[in-house]
Amino acid sequence: MDEADLGLRRRTYAFFVEHGRAPVAAELGEPDEVLEGWRRLHSEHAVVLNPATDELRMLNPFSVVPTAYRVHAGGRWWYGNCAWDAFGICAALHTDGRIETSCPDCCEPLAVEVRDERPDDESLLFHCLVPAEHWWDDIVFT
Amino acid sequence: MNLFRSGEHIARWVGERKPGATIPVTKLSELAQAWWHDRLSPEWEPHTREQNTAILEAVDLTGEFWRLA
Repeated sequence: MDEADLGLRRRTYAFFVEHGRAPVAAELGEPDEVLEGWRRLHSEHAVVLNPATDELRMLNPFSVVPTAYRVHAGGRWWYGNCAWDAFGICAALHTDGRIETSCPDCCEPLAVEVRDERPDDESLLFHCLVPAEHWWDDIVFT
Repeated sequence: MNLFRSGEHIARWVGERKPGATIPVTKLSELAQAWWHDRLSPEWEPHTREQNTAILEAVDLTGEFWRLA
């Protein structure tokens, strides 16, 4: 990953955190160049694009689109791609937060407050279905 | 990668599928902190496989299931 692509990635994340939404290519520069850069970053797993549209899908740990993991942190609501990423949003923002989701089995709501990097409800369990070597085979499913 | 109320809920949700790995939410929080804390840093560079493996090992996530591609 060269310096130009690292810079594009940095600007993409900064835009997302500042505005609470993903940029379209034209908001970061010449659209074709930005799209080419995003495709390279996608191939390096530094961003995730929707393959059908070339729009940003994930800026891990953030999800660009609504998911089952809502996170209130830094004065704003975000979406995480999964439970791991939901905690990751608090970690990336270096702040406390609140994670809201539901148990995939019983659909009952779950809420976790994260204070000083620790969850307030320590009884919950995290399950990862896909082995690590296959996480990027289909990152949206993972 | 989901949160559940208990192991019983995980077992029901997994059903006939091959189960993955289950860890306490406290360990997940530690893992997330180590994995994601630098993601917005202006100095961020991609983690190497070795760096990510070290993060997993630091929270005792080892073995075949946690072996990165």
